[in-house]
Amino acid sequence: MLTYRYDHQVIQISEVANNDDFEFRIRIIREHPCLEAMKKVQQEFEHNRVYTDVLFYVYPNHEFHVIVRKDYYTDFVLELMKHRLLQQVEWVPAP
Amino acid sequence: MEQQAVWAIGIFLVIYALIISEKIHRTILAMIGGILMVGLGIVDQETAIHHIDFNTLGLLIGMMIIVSITAETGVFKYIAVIAAKKAKGDPTRILLSLMLITAISSAFLDNVTTVLLMVPVTFSITRQLKVNPLPFLITQIIASNVGGTATLIGDPPNLMIGSAVKELSFMSFIYNLAPITAIILVVYIPIFVWLFRKGMRTTDELKQSIMALDEKELISDRRLLRKCLIVLALTLLGFFTHQLLHLESATVALAGAFLLLLLSGEHMMEEALARVEWMTIFFFVGLFVLVSGLIETGVIARLAEQSIELTGGNLTATSLLILWLSAIASAFLDNIPFVATMIPMIQEMGNMGVADLEPLWWSLALGACLGGNGTLIGASANLIVAGMAGKEGHPLRFTQFLKYGFPLMLLSIVISSIYVYLRYLL
Repeated sequence: MLTYRYDHQVIQISEVANNDDFEFRIRIIREHPCLEAMKKVQQEFEHNRVYTDVLFYVYPNHEFHVIVRKDYYTDFVLELMKHRLLQQVEWVPAP
Repeated sequence: MEQQAVWAIGIFLVIYALIISEKIHRTILAMIGGILMVGLGIVDQETAIHHIDFNTLGLLIGMMIIVSITAETGVFKYIAVIAAKKAKGDPTRILLSLMLITAISSAFLDNVTTVLLMVPVTFSITRQLKVNPLPFLITQIIASNVGGTATLIGDPPNLMIGSAVKELSFMSFIYNLAPITAIILVVYIPIFVWLFRKGMRTTDELKQSIMALDEKELISDRRLLRKCLIVLALTLLGFFTHQLLHLESATVALAGAFLLLLLSGEHMMEEALARVEWMTIFFFVGLFVLVSGLIETGVIARLAEQSIELTGGNLTATSLLILWLSAIASAFLDNIPFVATMIPMIQEMGNMGVADLEPLWWSLALGACLGGNGTLIGASANLIVAGMAGKEGHPLRFTQFLKYGFPLMLLSIVISSIYVYLRYLL
């Protein structure tokens, strides 16, 4: 399974698994440059050809609710990593 | 019958059958049909070019450019989220709001563009509310076909009729068709609420999550949005006044499109032009030439003659025949080639002494546009939505749509028959 680590001073991330999705709650604490990076992640998934892979819902105070289809979990986490919203991503054996 | 006419009918029927079979792309078939008409000498190239309606093509291209640039600003998502919030997150109210937005948008944009803009937002909202998106998609398909009926630019059949009949202005389409489309939508609303009442349950918590959304974040480029809104307003003003200004609607749409490209900068041009649906444009080109073969060889004139014989030249019977025939044909066939064939036939009826062609034009417009709701293959927008839904794991089957679409289409044609009779024939 894929695990990730992030700087709690700049971003807060929580995730729960549902039937076919993972739901993320992401709050950007340090606006620069994380907010711009998060918007780039959003743009990436909103401009591709799949409409329901990763759905973004934006709330006030830089809060994002992100619904990620199970088959796009890795893509989403790696996209966060690509834009430096995560510090480390690692494959670890499933418990 | 002359040999040339036999060839023209043969080519037309074979191409038509192949279009229905959907084995080969309709654009390739229409273009091959058109090329055969010229290649076999049924029409010469000069005549063929004369039959291509550049007003229809220019209008489509202009509007496609304007919409593709406007979509980049996120304004359509913004409107959908505002509607969802106004509906207080209630699924039934959101279903009706999105249906009305689709209908109004379809009146001013083409149906395919409208559903391409609405479907992703629908997936997003229904996913958040954890409700089945199919009732939303079905109502949007139906609303796009009804809304598109209201104006000259709403649906290709109207565009073709408006372009072929110079007396029918943008305003006359609104004046004659908008009231009936509004009536049909009002009749549909309680039916939709009743039909889809079972799948419209969600929790208060999920409704609250809709209410808390920050819609302002959806507008990605405010400067570009301002420019788009100004150009859209000017273009619509141009449509409303095109007869006063002695301008064709294509001139208005293309002027709007290139003004927007001028304002938004050259960097938008390549993408905006690439997003023009060239397959649709060439489909039209092929069809115009294909039908020109039937016109030039006198086939259309003979068909018109026989139709008049069948109805005894009675205007009421002819209008209702055109309305119902167009609706049933458009439910199963592509309405664009059907209308392309019917236009010269109605014009020919005028030449044969039918004095008032107006009821016939409105009957054709109503039948061809509303008929698209009959089946999933009745209109391009239906197929686009079904394709998108299937790809995202929510297949919309032919029979499933037929169950809703066909009775609702019949109801709309019954209402239209009463309207046409009371307004034009009584």
